[in-house]
Amino acid sequence: MSIVDCRLSIELFGVLTRLVGTSSIVVALRPGATVADVLMDLAAAHPETNDVLAECAFAIGDRLVPRTRAVRAGERLALLPPVSGG
Amino acid sequence: VRLTEDALDLDALIADSCDPRSGALVVFGGTVRNHHEGKTVARLSYSAYAPLGNKLIQAIEAETVAKFHVHYCRVVHRTGDLGIGEVAIYAIVRAAHRREAFAAAQYAVDAVKHRVPVWKEEFYADGSSAFVAGCCIDPCHPERSEGSLAGGSGAGDASSPSAPRDDTRKAA
Repeated sequence: MSIVDCRLSIELFGVLTRLVGTSSIVVALRPGATVADVLMDLAAAHPETNDVLAECAFAIGDRLVPRTRAVRAGERLALLPPVSGG
Repeated sequence: VRLTEDALDLDALIADSCDPRSGALVVFGGTVRNHHEGKTVARLSYSAYAPLGNKLIQAIEAETVAKFHVHYCRVVHRTGDLGIGEVAIYAIVRAAHRREAFAAAQYAVDAVKHRVPVWKEEFYADGSSAFVAGCCIDPCHPERSEGSLAGGSGAGDASSPSAPRDDTRKAA
Protein backbone atom coordinates (compact mmCIF):
# COMPACT_ATOMS: atom_id res chain seq x y z
CA MET A 1 0.00 0.00 0.00
CA SER A 2 1.39 3.36 -0.97
CA ILE A 3 1.54 6.36 1.30
CA VAL A 4 -1.29 7.97 -0.63
CA ASP A 5 -3.51 4.98 0.11
CA CYS A 6 -3.06 5.49 3.85
CA ARG A 7 -4.35 9.00 3.94
CA LEU A 8 -7.68 10.54 4.75
CA SER A 9 -8.93 13.91 3.57
CA ILE A 10 -10.75 16.01 6.13
CA GLU A 11 -13.01 18.85 5.03
CA LEU A 12 -13.58 21.63 7.54
CA PHE A 13 -16.54 23.99 7.66
CA GLY A 14 -17.75 27.02 9.55
CA VAL A 15 -15.71 28.17 12.49
CA LEU A 16 -13.35 25.19 12.12
CA THR A 17 -11.90 26.78 9.00
CA ARG A 18 -10.91 29.81 11.07
CA LEU A 19 -9.55 27.80 13.99
CA VAL A 20 -7.39 25.54 11.84
CA GLY A 21 -6.67 28.11 9.15
CA THR A 22 -7.68 25.98 6.20
CA SER A 23 -10.74 24.24 4.77
CA SER A 24 -9.09 20.94 3.97
CA ILE A 25 -6.35 18.82 5.52
CA VAL A 26 -4.92 15.39 4.83
CA VAL A 27 -3.96 13.11 7.68
CA ALA A 28 -2.22 9.77 7.96
CA LEU A 29 -4.70 7.00 8.68
CA ARG A 30 -4.01 4.24 11.18
CA PRO A 31 -5.43 0.82 10.30
CA GLY A 32 -8.88 0.39 11.80
CA ALA A 33 -9.21 4.04 12.75
CA THR A 34 -12.69 5.41 13.42
CA VAL A 35 -14.06 8.92 13.11
CA ALA A 36 -13.44 9.31 16.85
CA ASP A 37 -9.78 8.35 16.41
CA VAL A 38 -9.36 10.92 13.67
CA LEU A 39 -10.94 13.56 15.89
CA MET A 40 -8.61 12.71 18.74
CA ASP A 41 -5.60 13.25 16.52
CA LEU A 42 -7.03 16.49 15.16
CA ALA A 43 -7.75 17.85 18.64
CA ALA A 44 -4.21 16.94 19.70
CA ALA A 45 -2.75 18.86 16.77
CA HIS A 46 -5.22 21.74 17.12
CA PRO A 47 -6.34 21.98 20.77
CA GLU A 48 -8.34 25.11 20.01
CA THR A 49 -10.81 22.96 18.04
CA ASN A 50 -11.68 20.74 20.99
CA ASP A 51 -14.93 22.47 22.05
CA VAL A 52 -16.23 22.73 18.50
CA LEU A 53 -15.38 19.11 17.67
CA ALA A 54 -17.54 18.03 20.60
CA GLU A 55 -20.51 19.66 18.87
CA CYS A 56 -19.79 18.48 15.33
CA ALA A 57 -21.68 16.09 13.14
CA PHE A 58 -19.79 14.04 10.53
CA ALA A 59 -20.50 13.12 6.95
CA ILE A 60 -18.97 11.08 4.20
CA GLY A 61 -20.53 11.88 0.84
CA ASP A 62 -24.22 12.61 1.34
CA ARG A 63 -24.61 10.62 4.56
CA LEU A 64 -24.15 11.51 8.20
CA VAL A 65 -21.91 9.00 9.96
CA PRO A 66 -21.43 8.29 13.67
CA ARG A 67 -18.16 8.67 15.54
CA THR A 68 -17.88 4.90 15.72
CA ARG A 69 -17.69 4.47 11.95
CA ALA A 70 -14.42 3.12 10.62
CA VAL A 71 -12.86 5.42 8.06
CA ARG A 72 -11.11 4.10 4.99
CA ALA A 73 -8.17 5.43 3.07
CA GLY A 74 -9.16 7.70 0.25
CA GLU A 75 -12.43 8.81 1.84
CA ARG A 76 -13.30 12.44 2.53
CA LEU A 77 -14.59 13.09 6.02
CA ALA A 78 -16.59 16.30 6.48
CA LEU A 79 -16.64 17.89 9.94
CA LEU A 80 -19.88 19.82 10.38
CA PRO A 81 -20.05 22.32 13.26
CA PRO A 82 -23.45 23.53 14.52
CA VAL A 83 -25.34 24.98 11.59
CA SER A 84 -26.61 28.54 11.12
CA GLY A 85 -28.32 28.81 7.77
CA GLY A 86 -31.38 30.81 6.87
CA VAL B 1 -30.15 21.76 -6.55
CA ARG B 2 -31.25 23.63 -3.44
CA LEU B 3 -27.96 25.32 -2.54
CA THR B 4 -26.59 27.76 -5.05
CA GLU B 5 -24.13 30.61 -5.38
CA ASP B 6 -26.38 32.23 -7.98
CA ALA B 7 -28.86 34.96 -7.12
CA LEU B 8 -32.26 33.45 -6.36
CA ASP B 9 -34.87 33.94 -9.09
CA LEU B 10 -38.27 34.32 -7.44
CA ASP B 11 -40.21 34.51 -10.71
CA ALA B 12 -38.75 31.20 -11.84
CA LEU B 13 -39.42 29.60 -8.47
CA ILE B 14 -43.06 30.66 -8.54
CA ALA B 15 -43.48 29.54 -12.14
CA ASP B 16 -42.08 26.12 -11.29
CA SER B 17 -44.51 25.76 -8.40
CA CYS B 18 -47.77 26.22 -10.31
CA ASP B 19 -50.44 23.75 -9.23
CA PRO B 20 -54.08 23.95 -10.31
CA ARG B 21 -55.26 22.32 -7.07
CA SER B 22 -53.85 25.15 -4.99
CA GLY B 23 -55.68 28.24 -3.80
CA ALA B 24 -52.83 29.50 -1.65
CA LEU B 25 -49.31 30.50 -2.53
CA VAL B 26 -47.02 31.43 0.35
CA VAL B 27 -43.53 32.79 -0.23
CA PHE B 28 -41.05 33.42 2.54
CA GLY B 29 -37.89 35.32 1.73
CA GLY B 30 -35.07 35.80 4.19
CA THR B 31 -32.98 38.88 3.47
CA VAL B 32 -29.68 40.05 4.88
CA ARG B 33 -30.19 42.76 7.45
CA ASN B 34 -27.65 45.31 8.54
CA HIS B 35 -27.55 44.71 12.27
CA HIS B 36 -27.14 41.92 14.77
CA GLU B 37 -27.04 42.20 18.55
CA GLY B 38 -26.08 45.84 18.44
CA LYS B 39 -23.37 45.44 15.83
CA THR B 40 -23.54 46.91 12.36
CA VAL B 41 -23.34 44.14 9.79
CA ALA B 42 -21.65 45.13 6.54
CA ARG B 43 -22.06 41.83 4.69
CA LEU B 44 -22.09 38.13 5.29
CA SER B 45 -20.95 34.91 3.77
CA TYR B 46 -22.74 31.57 3.68
CA SER B 47 -20.88 28.32 3.21
CA ALA B 48 -22.42 24.86 2.92
CA TYR B 49 -21.65 21.18 2.68
CA ALA B 50 -23.58 20.62 -0.53
CA PRO B 51 -23.60 16.80 -0.88
CA LEU B 52 -25.59 16.45 2.34
CA GLY B 53 -27.26 19.85 2.28
CA ASN B 54 -29.05 19.39 -1.04
CA LYS B 55 -30.28 15.98 0.05
CA LEU B 56 -31.52 17.22 3.43
CA ILE B 57 -33.42 20.17 1.96
CA GLN B 58 -35.21 17.85 -0.46
CA ALA B 59 -36.06 15.55 2.44
CA ILE B 60 -37.43 18.51 4.41
CA GLU B 61 -39.58 19.52 1.43
CA ALA B 62 -41.04 16.02 1.17
CA GLU B 63 -41.55 15.88 4.92
CA THR B 64 -43.34 19.25 4.85
CA VAL B 65 -45.67 18.17 2.04
CA ALA B 66 -46.58 15.01 3.91
CA LYS B 67 -46.97 16.63 7.33
CA PHE B 68 -49.14 19.57 6.28
CA HIS B 69 -50.90 17.99 3.28
CA VAL B 70 -49.75 20.82 1.02
CA HIS B 71 -49.29 20.39 -2.71
CA TYR B 72 -45.83 21.81 -3.14
CA CYS B 73 -42.83 22.91 -1.09
CA ARG B 74 -39.51 24.16 -2.37
CA VAL B 75 -36.66 25.74 -0.39
CA VAL B 76 -33.56 27.23 -1.95
CA HIS B 77 -30.62 28.71 -0.09
CA ARG B 78 -27.92 31.00 -1.38
CA THR B 79 -24.24 30.48 -0.63
CA GLY B 80 -21.25 32.75 -1.01
CA ASP B 81 -20.95 36.45 -0.21
CA LEU B 82 -24.17 38.41 0.23
CA GLY B 83 -24.70 42.13 0.70
CA ILE B 84 -27.31 43.87 2.81
CA GLY B 85 -30.81 43.37 1.41
CA GLU B 86 -29.95 40.36 -0.73
CA VAL B 87 -32.16 37.28 -0.45
CA ALA B 88 -30.51 34.35 1.31
CA ILE B 89 -33.41 31.90 1.34
CA TYR B 90 -36.79 31.40 -0.29
CA ALA B 91 -39.46 28.95 0.74
CA ILE B 92 -42.35 28.43 -1.68
CA VAL B 93 -45.48 26.55 -0.64
CA ARG B 94 -48.67 25.86 -2.56
CA ALA B 95 -51.71 24.42 -0.81
CA ALA B 96 -55.46 24.27 -1.14
CA HIS B 97 -55.89 26.87 1.63
CA ARG B 98 -53.77 29.52 3.33
CA ARG B 99 -53.75 28.08 6.84
CA GLU B 100 -51.76 24.97 5.99
CA ALA B 101 -49.66 26.92 3.50
CA PHE B 102 -48.47 29.40 6.14
CA ALA B 103 -47.81 26.63 8.66
CA ALA B 104 -45.92 24.53 6.14
CA ALA B 105 -43.72 27.42 5.03
CA GLN B 106 -42.77 28.24 8.61
CA TYR B 107 -42.02 24.60 9.33
CA ALA B 108 -39.86 24.19 6.25
CA VAL B 109 -37.80 27.32 6.94
CA ASP B 110 -37.28 26.38 10.58
CA ALA B 111 -36.24 22.86 9.60
CA VAL B 112 -33.72 24.11 7.05
CA LYS B 113 -32.23 26.56 9.55
CA HIS B 114 -31.88 23.84 12.18
CA ARG B 115 -30.82 20.79 10.19
CA VAL B 116 -29.04 21.70 6.99
CA PRO B 117 -25.23 22.10 6.96
CA VAL B 118 -25.02 25.81 6.15
CA TRP B 119 -22.87 28.30 8.06
CA LYS B 120 -23.19 32.04 8.27
CA GLU B 121 -20.24 34.30 8.86
CA GLU B 122 -20.96 37.93 9.64
CA PHE B 123 -18.60 40.73 8.72
CA TYR B 124 -19.09 43.85 10.81
CA ALA B 125 -18.57 47.50 10.05
CA ASP B 126 -15.77 47.65 12.64
CA GLY B 127 -13.73 45.15 10.60
CA SER B 128 -14.32 42.15 12.84
CA SER B 129 -16.19 38.99 11.85
CA ALA B 130 -17.80 35.99 13.49
CA PHE B 131 -19.61 32.80 12.67
CA VAL B 132 -23.13 32.86 14.04
CA ALA B 133 -23.73 30.21 16.69
CA GLY B 134 -26.01 27.45 15.56
CA CYS B 135 -27.64 24.08 16.04
CA CYS B 136 -25.77 20.84 16.52
CA ILE B 137 -26.93 18.36 13.86
CA ASP B 138 -25.20 15.26 15.20
CA PRO B 139 -28.12 12.86 15.74
CA CYS B 140 -26.07 11.07 18.39
CA HIS B 141 -25.19 14.16 20.40
CA PRO B 142 -26.63 14.10 23.93
CA GLU B 143 -27.60 17.75 23.72
CA ARG B 144 -28.97 17.47 20.20
CA SER B 145 -32.41 18.65 21.23
CA GLU B 146 -31.04 21.68 23.04
CA GLY B 147 -29.08 23.20 20.18
CA SER B 148 -25.64 24.48 21.00
CA LEU B 149 -23.25 27.36 20.98
CA ALA B 150 -20.28 26.96 18.72
CA GLY B 151 -19.52 30.30 17.18
CA GLY B 152 -16.81 31.02 19.68
CA SER B 153 -17.45 34.71 19.28
CA GLY B 154 -20.66 35.23 21.14
CA ALA B 155 -22.11 36.72 18.00
CA GLY B 156 -25.22 34.59 17.90
CA ASP B 157 -27.88 33.05 20.05
CA ALA B 158 -28.38 29.45 21.01
CA SER B 159 -31.49 27.93 19.57
CA SER B 160 -33.42 24.74 19.65
CA PRO B 161 -35.14 22.81 16.88
CA SER B 162 -38.38 23.07 18.81
CA ALA B 163 -38.02 26.78 19.52
CA PRO B 164 -36.85 28.56 16.39
CA ARG B 165 -34.54 31.44 17.11
CA ASP B 166 -34.83 34.88 15.65
CA ASP B 167 -31.25 35.94 15.76
CA THR B 168 -30.41 36.34 12.13
CA ARG B 169 -30.53 39.33 9.90
CA LYS B 170 -33.60 38.15 8.12
CA ALA B 171 -36.92 39.88 7.98
CA ALA B 172 -38.50 36.92 9.68
